[in-house]
Amino acid sequence: MTHANSELVTPERVRSAAFTPTRLGRRGLDEAEVRSFCEWVSDGLGRLLNDNSMLQAEIQRLRERLIGRSGKGARPEDVHVQAVHLLSRAQQTADRYVADAQQYSRELAMDAHLRRDEIVREAKVRASMILETAHTSASEAADTVRATNDQAHASEQQEIQVELAYLRTFSEVCRTHLHAYLESLTRSIDEWERAERRGGLAARDSVVPKQHV
Amino acid sequence: MDERRLKESFARAAAYGDEAALFFYSHLFLGHPEVREMFPVSMAVQRDKLLDALGRIVAEVSNHGTLVPFLQGLGRDHRKFGTLAEHYPVVGASLLATLAHFNGTEWNDDLARQWTEAYTVIAQVMTEAAAEDETRNPPSWEATVVSHERRTMEIAVLRIAPDAPLGYLPGQSVAVECEARPRLWRCYSMANAPRPDGTIEFHVRVIDGGAVSSALARSIGVGARLRLGPPFGTLQLDVSSRRDVVLAAGSTGLAPLKAIIEQAAGLDDPPRMHLVFGARTAAGLYDLADLEKMTAQWPWLTVTPAVSAEPDYRGETGTVADVIGRRVPLTDSDAYVCGSSAMVTATVNRLQSLGMAQDHIYVEDFGWSES
Repeated sequence: MTHANSELVTPERVRSAAFTPTRLGRRGLDEAEVRSFCEWVSDGLGRLLNDNSMLQAEIQRLRERLIGRSGKGARPEDVHVQAVHLLSRAQQTADRYVADAQQYSRELAMDAHLRRDEIVREAKVRASMILETAHTSASEAADTVRATNDQAHASEQQEIQVELAYLRTFSEVCRTHLHAYLESLTRSIDEWERAERRGGLAARDSVVPKQHV
Repeated sequence: MDERRLKESFARAAAYGDEAALFFYSHLFLGHPEVREMFPVSMAVQRDKLLDALGRIVAEVSNHGTLVPFLQGLGRDHRKFGTLAEHYPVVGASLLATLAHFNGTEWNDDLARQWTEAYTVIAQVMTEAAAEDETRNPPSWEATVVSHERRTMEIAVLRIAPDAPLGYLPGQSVAVECEARPRLWRCYSMANAPRPDGTIEFHVRVIDGGAVSSALARSIGVGARLRLGPPFGTLQLDVSSRRDVVLAAGSTGLAPLKAIIEQAAGLDDPPRMHLVFGARTAAGLYDLADLEKMTAQWPWLTVTPAVSAEPDYRGETGTVADVIGRRVPLTDSDAYVCGSSAMVTATVNRLQSLGMAQDHIYVEDFGWSES
């Protein structure tokens, strides 16, 4: 707050005084305390000015009475001065009401700001809690998915096992058939050899083995 | 004119401070009740303004070089309130009555004559400037809200279309009055360089207990009518400077700096610009989407968002001053700073402690506090 020394102190100037915040690391004053002190000074100053003007009016009145005693009657402009003082009191009352209303609305607004900040702060804490819960749920879900994956792996293996078993059986069957075929072939060759030893073309036609599989 | 006697008699009345201003306005309203309509219900701020202006006039009474432009500006500026030439003698009479009352027995005919002469000159300079302005500009500009966007709980971006074209320089501001809050004027910066369609954007931040800001951001919508005063303000881009530019924006202090960036885009050879846009929370960086479009379009522009009250923010954390100190090279640069009083003071102090010359720092202080 800066002011020229020539400037007059008025209730409004005290009320609307602005202060420069202190630099970081240095101790400052509590702003609310400073402000309430200014309110108090402004009120007191207003009251003093009011008293002062009443005294002025009183002096004026006494002066007029003295003049009246010294022989002169009350002049119309003296009455005017009384009216001026009367209007001044009315104006001061109006100013006071407006200032009070403004002060009240300022306090309400500041209070609302504080509460809003509090609500926002709370909401932030809650939001971070929700986020944390979400993280936990997410990691839990991930674990479950991983477990399910393992299960899926198992069933796949099972499927492979089944297929493997089938393939094993199939190869077994094939081998058995092959063996049977080979045996029948060997038998046919033996038969062919015997028939050839007996001689004769008729027997040659019968050497072609029958298909088994 | 006896300067010493004028100053002494003024000092005697001014010593009563608020009481003297109260007397002045009550005297004025009793004599001319129709004038009361031109003022808001609460007069507390108004009285301070009166004392400031009178104090300045009396202090500079013999310094014509500064007094005359000040009075001319005052005369032009009062047109938006509906001040007419015939109001000046009425005000003069109440001023003299106030001085006479508070000077008591020290007051005499000679002083009354001196003050009448002085006031006549003051009123003449003001009315002449107002009359001269009348040939070029309306007393105020009526405008319609054409879009209304709530960006955050506290910030709205309004686009308005003035009925008559409003000429201004990027970085300037206007006083704004809305139907919902008659006679209460608050200043907002134009957030864009002048456009062919004449529309203007305002970034409105709700001040706790602020009558006008809350009405503009919350109560009104598309179609609402506003009244604008004449453009003012000295936060303007020094186009002759060949230095780089650092732009420091605290919250809606971004508005005039955004207009300046748009202005630079229209230059043949834009300077390199680095904007640090700060807010308490990430949500408070209400205009990042637009700024990203600008950086994509203009390679000479860099934007660094800064968040001061959210330690877990994934970007630069700290105040605008902190982030400038950390991230922005300041050698051979100009700086333009706009934001709350506290932000402006802290940033200017930091820039100076980092070695930037005072005459390279341009400032717009909106006079609002962060609280």
